[in-house]
Parts: sequence; C-alpha cells; structure tokens
Amino acid sequence: MTAPGRWVAEHWIAVGSPLVSLIAWEWASASGVLREAFFPRPSTMFVHLVQLSADGTLWAHTARSLVRIGWAFALAAVFGVGIGLAMGLWRRLRDGLDPVFAVIYPIPSVLFLPLVSFLVPPGEIALIVTTAVTSFFLVAFTTTHGVRQIDRLVVEAAVHYGARGPRLFASVLLPGALPFIFTGLRLGLGFALIVVVAVEIVSASTGLGALLWLSWQILKVEDMYATFFVIALLGAVLSYGLSALRAWLLPWVQDVAEP
Amino acid sequence: MVYAVPAVLLGLWEVCSRLAIVSPRYFPPPTQVAWVLVDRFADGDLGANTLVTVTRLAAAFALAAVPAVPLGLLMGIARPVREVVEPYIAFIFPVPKITLLPFLLIILGVGEAAFVLTAATSAFFQIVISTLAGVQTMDPRLLEVGRNYGAHGPRLFWKIILPAALPAIFTGLRLGLGLALVALVAVEFIAAKSGLGHLVYRHWQMLSTPEMYAAFALVGALGLGLTRGLRALQARLLAWQEDVGRL
Repeated sequence: MTAPGRWVAEHWIAVGSPLVSLIAWEWASASGVLREAFFPRPSTMFVHLVQLSADGTLWAHTARSLVRIGWAFALAAVFGVGIGLAMGLWRRLRDGLDPVFAVIYPIPSVLFLPLVSFLVPPGEIALIVTTAVTSFFLVAFTTTHGVRQIDRLVVEAAVHYGARGPRLFASVLLPGALPFIFTGLRLGLGFALIVVVAVEIVSASTGLGALLWLSWQILKVEDMYATFFVIALLGAVLSYGLSALRAWLLPWVQDVAEP
Repeated sequence: MVYAVPAVLLGLWEVCSRLAIVSPRYFPPPTQVAWVLVDRFADGDLGANTLVTVTRLAAAFALAAVPAVPLGLLMGIARPVREVVEPYIAFIFPVPKITLLPFLLIILGVGEAAFVLTAATSAFFQIVISTLAGVQTMDPRLLEVGRNYGAHGPRLFWKIILPAALPAIFTGLRLGLGLALVALVAVEFIAAKSGLGHLVYRHWQMLSTPEMYAAFALVGALGLGLTRGLRALQARLLAWQEDVGRL
C-alpha cells in the first residue's frame, strides 16, 4: 500500500468525520432544517469562495493582511530577540523590566491601538505596531527563558576554553537558546494573525478582518464564511507549517510548548 | 528594588507630562489617571463596567470549562472519540476566535450571548487540548501499576488517570481563562456598549484620555491578578507537580 493510502486507512475516521458533517450540513441547509440565511450550504460557500478569489477581492485583502503580519512579525522578532537576549544575559536589566512586562503582557493587544495611535502616525503604521505588541512580549519572554535555561556547565566549559564576547555569544548562547527562540517566534506569528484580524475589524477598510466585518455589516453571509475559511487556512498554515519547519531545521529538540 | 524601574518610568512620564514635553492631552500625568481611578471607581462608570466584564468572564469561563474538561478526558481515553473530534479542534484552534463574533452576532443577535460565547470558545479549545495532552502524556507505568493492582474501568479512571491529568487540566483552565479575558475585552472594544474594553474604546473616541488610561490599567490589573492568583492556587492545590505549561 502506498504511504498516503496507509495514512487514510489508519485515520479513516478523522478523514470521514468532517466529510460526513459537510454532507449533513449541505442536506440540512437545503431541506430547511438549518436556516439557509445563517448557515448557507457548503456548496454555495464554495461557489462564493471561487468567485471572490476569481475577481481578486480575496487576494487583495489577504495580501494586505499578510503584509501587515509580515511587518509586525519582523518588528516583534528583531526587538523581541534583541531585548530577550539582553535580559537573559544581564540580570539587572531582567530584574528591572520583568515587573513592567508582567503588567503589560496580559493586556489584550487590540487595546493598545488607541495608545499606539497617539505615539505613531495613525493608519497603516499604527496597525502594524499594535499587531506587533503581543508578539514582541512573547518572543522576548521565550528568548530570555531560553538563555537562562542553558546549562551553566556548558557556558563555563566554553569560557574555560577561551570563548568570550561575540564568540561565546554566537557559538554557545545563541544555539543554546535557539529552540526557545523558535517557539517564541512561532507563537508570536500566530498571535500576529489573531491581533491583525482584530485590529482590522476595529479600524481598517482593507484586510481579511475588515472584509469579514464589512460582509457582516451588509449581511453577505456567504462572503463571511468564505473569509472565515481563508483566515482559518492562514492560521493552520502558520501554526502547523511552522511546527514542521522547526522539526526540519532543529530536529534535535522538542518544541518547548507543543500546542 | 523590584519596583524601582516601573516607579522611575512612571515618575519620568509624570514630569514629562507636567512640563508638556509630551502632550498632556494624549499622555496625561499618571497621578491624574490614579485620581480618576480612585474618584470614578465607586460612584462612576469604572466600577460598574469592571463588574460587567468580570461577570461576562465568569459566564464565559464556566461555559467553556464545564464541557471542555469531560470532552478532553473522553478524547484521551476513547480513541474513536478522539479521531472524530480532533479534525474540528485542529481546524478551529489556530483561528482567531474574534472571527466567530460576526457569525454569533447574526445567529444570536447583538447581545450578551454572542459576546460571552465568543470569549467561551477561546477558552474551550485551549482547555480541551490541555486536558487531552494531560491524559496522553501521563506516565504509562502508572497505568500498568494500576492495572496490576486490579484497577480497571471507572476505578482506573478516578484513581489513576484523572489525578495524573489534573496538573495539565489546571494549566488548561488557567490558560483558558487568560484567553477568554483577551477575547472578551476585544469583543467589548469592537461590539459591546459596556465593559472595560468598551470604556477604553469610548474614551479613546471622546479623547478623554485620563479615563481611557484608567480603564486600560484596570484591564491590566485584572489580567495580572487572574494570572498570578491562579498560578498561586495551582502551586498550592497541586503542590506535588511542577507546572506543565509555564510558557
């Protein structure tokens, strides 16, 4: 039996159960058990999905969201890893920033939108900075933790063999913290998607969040489902794709926070 | 000593705002925010809206936890159940739960039920996943020992599986509560007409910044209090276990 064939044979329930649900949904909406106004048939949704992507609407909005996520993630990664490494290395900095971070971190990031819009020019930049906030804290936290959990013995051995400064950093501290950094980046990217959708709902006219909200306001239910599907797909790719990437890049380590 | 840096930052903000180095309109002095906090909490809208948010949070958490823990346990012990349910969980878990809000708004109408359910789904999936992981990652030797001593069926479940999964369940509940708060405040910010999230939005629109920062601080305090409180509770109740999901 081929590999995919075997996989299906082992997981036929997992494959079959969503299929059965979809068919049941199709039947229920068509026969009026479910209100078609709220729960359109999966086949109708699919047609709308194809239409929306054929006329380019969906692609344009998806592209806008992806660009925002990309910038926010880059900001969060650069500052998060930088500050996280510094906090891991210098105790004083860590002691000073820990309480500040502890208070700010649990605040839902969409609430930062007003604050950020006072600080930077409102519009695109404010959207991106707001999206980056929570991801930044996640990356900084995990990086700090990653540096701190490195075995002291390893560091001492490296120092004894004469590694210091940039060399100690590049060949001992960074590789040691890498699994944690990667987990932080993965979680951070996931959060960037969550926040960008919320922020787009509140204050954007483009992007998947805005498309979803707009479709709700004019009660285009099929478009809502189509947008939802794209967001879900994006979420799945970001979270499972990155897990796979980690397994491929850093095969020697367990993910420190498998979902 | 621990609070030196926050204190210095707040002091700096105070001075900059008083001397109008930063615009006091956008960044009012922290003492003014604190005054608003004290003044408006008891008889103003701050206390009332905090209560609204806490009530919604409690409802959402209960709605999530009550079905999620049994479902997670059932998925852990019965493979067919896991196979049936897992695809849906894997599909919905990475989706930003705020996207469910418009669907719930058209199905249930604009109101409390839609707000609370959006927050509840956020917690639900986290709790199911943590509970399932708790059962799946338990030491198989525990099961063997239990079986060798004659435990099976319900007895094996109550005496071995449930206690072994308890720390993970608790972690799931703690993470779930945090996620529910995040989703709830976002929902309030976007669609509700009450609650702390809405207060931040309204005072932002009206540019009454001291009130905005006061509501903001209350959300932070609520989040910090819940996280710290549950962590302490977990350490006390499950003293024999290390936290499984510290990150």
